[in-house]
Amino acid sequence: MLDKTMRLVTGVTLIGALLTFSPARAQVKVVTSLPDLASIATLIGGDQVDAFSIATGYQNPHFVDPKPSYILKLARADVFVTVGLDLEIGWTPPLLNSSRNAKIQKGGDGYCDASIGIHLLQVPVSASREQGDIHIYGNPHYWLDPLNGKIVAQNIFNALVRVDPDHRSLFEANLKKFNETIDARTKVWVERMRPYAGTKVIAYHNEWPYFEQRFGLEIVDFLEPKPGIPPTPSQLLKVINEMKREHIKVIIAAPYFTTESADLVARNTGGKVVILATSVGANESIKTYYDLFDYDISQIIKALQ
Amino acid sequence: MNLIRYASLGALAVGLSTGIGWAQVDSSAVADSLLLKQLQQAMQPKTPPPQQQAAPRSTLSTNPDVSAIGDFRSSYTSLGERKLDLYLNELELQVTSVVDPYARANFIYTFGKDLTTGAFESDLEIATLTSLTLPYQLQLTVGKFKPTIGKVNILHPHVFPFTDFPKIISNYFDDEGMYMEGASLSWLVPNPFDFYQELTLETGRIGAEPNASFVRGTTSQLTYSGHLKNFFDLTDNATLEFGLSGLNGPNRFGFSTSMAGADLTYKWKPVRYNVFQSFTWQSEILYSDLRLNPADVARTYGWYSLMEYQVAQRWFIGARYDHSGFPDDTARKEQAGSLLLRLQPTEFQILALEYQYTDRNFDRNTSQVTLRIIFGIGTHAAHQY
Repeated sequence: MLDKTMRLVTGVTLIGALLTFSPARAQVKVVTSLPDLASIATLIGGDQVDAFSIATGYQNPHFVDPKPSYILKLARADVFVTVGLDLEIGWTPPLLNSSRNAKIQKGGDGYCDASIGIHLLQVPVSASREQGDIHIYGNPHYWLDPLNGKIVAQNIFNALVRVDPDHRSLFEANLKKFNETIDARTKVWVERMRPYAGTKVIAYHNEWPYFEQRFGLEIVDFLEPKPGIPPTPSQLLKVINEMKREHIKVIIAAPYFTTESADLVARNTGGKVVILATSVGANESIKTYYDLFDYDISQIIKALQ
Repeated sequence: MNLIRYASLGALAVGLSTGIGWAQVDSSAVADSLLLKQLQQAMQPKTPPPQQQAAPRSTLSTNPDVSAIGDFRSSYTSLGERKLDLYLNELELQVTSVVDPYARANFIYTFGKDLTTGAFESDLEIATLTSLTLPYQLQLTVGKFKPTIGKVNILHPHVFPFTDFPKIISNYFDDEGMYMEGASLSWLVPNPFDFYQELTLETGRIGAEPNASFVRGTTSQLTYSGHLKNFFDLTDNATLEFGLSGLNGPNRFGFSTSMAGADLTYKWKPVRYNVFQSFTWQSEILYSDLRLNPADVARTYGWYSLMEYQVAQRWFIGARYDHSGFPDDTARKEQAGSLLLRLQPTEFQILALEYQYTDRNFDRNTSQVTLRIIFGIGTHAAHQY
């Protein structure tokens, strides 16, 4: 009986070991902090890339929980792509430190800071937490301008070529196609938004400056009195008065904020709350980086009409 | 669109530079000024200037990240002469950085209060070098660290939601847990079910002050500890962690203490609203086998169970039950119930109000109310899950 049990245990262990140590597929394993980066990595890498995003599309990217299960993903990654600019400072350092993976540490071939080359907005001239949750390198929500997506794609391309130079031509062709698609679609998105250029809106949190600049909106105030500080009654009153005075009709918010404050302001001003997606996967219809802007542009136009 | 913007900015730059040019030339030299304008236009860079390049991207520095954390307290205790107290409990200075491509270092220096004398005593709490690039999913830490025993011992007091560590930590080790000078090797264990499993083996000597179960020792006998952590994602929103710990080392009676422990933690945090809602249920049990003399062994145990629920973005409520023996005295036991209200205005300031009732079989029972304010400055500290 004991012998039989031992054979069974040995068999299960061997099968497990085979599964665990089965030869790695030739695909480049890419782990990204946000799903937008995973989407772009997939568009550039095609079938040659297996991309996984730690954060979901409906999650606040400032506050992702560094679950140990993500360490496993990072331990096996060939490339790690980060938004950078300290957006993920609260959760990527412990994950990277525990990953035991030299390739994806800062400075390694597989480390990809997607922000390299981005023209940053709202770079503070002084850094003090009196200003709330500020980002000392500039506003990190740059992927919400589709043209910045091209710079992200170039950075991801560079990392993919570093770790898998044999597929350079594939990545190059996909990068070219991505850039052409973004250029063509951005023209359409900008044209659709042109009638609403200069429209004043309110936002919950300061994550829209790149979107605002690209598509010609004007965000005049935020429900948060300072970045990261929850809305206060006095701030909401200020916003209500601004909306009435300036005839502002729309409050934009991300999916991961509760809508009580925005709803309260909307009720008192006759305005509308529009939940815009900040990332791919914010809802089921947003499967790619292109879908993100299709969705957001449609939503904002619907609200402004 | 970019082209249009760049062209506009370029035109503006030309306009501005032309204006400056006009101011600098003699008013009579109109022809020269036209030529100057043409030259200035010709000298404009072919590539458009980047927009809003307001400030340098960063002030690059290889200086380490520095932070300071203060822990101020006010308490009322029903027992003792000094029932009401106000004091700065501790100041912690942390300096951390990568050393080179292969390792990172972490130093924590504390200034703690001696509640009797009021004097502050400094101590080096943590000084570690941790590898980043060992093969086979290994990670080595050497220096002075908190050994991986269950869930709480590895934490610093300001990270633990309650104002005091569970009784099994204070009774079996020290108020702030156990420290070790030595080496810690951890391994991500490959397993067929592909869940997170980490085995940590540690050895060394405990700090200068003996704790209740272990001493630094005068012979070659070292203290050993091991921990197996198993982590499961139950759903996107819920996780379960189960750990096993074991310890062996010299005690102050000149013999050895052996310990075994288990920990179980369930966490629920809705991914979408993780800033607004969360729930944690965490329990640990510790069994101790301390040899007092060749003939006697003190076999004791203790456990605690705590829950914390986040009711709003800034507000948390919690409760904890402690039942603990003492490692060298099988007769003494205590149990305690605690209630917690925690307000977290930002990540850098946390207020906690805790009521604790302690029932002891060797002394009078006590009630204690503690208000703790944690405040931190400096580099944003990343938090472990």
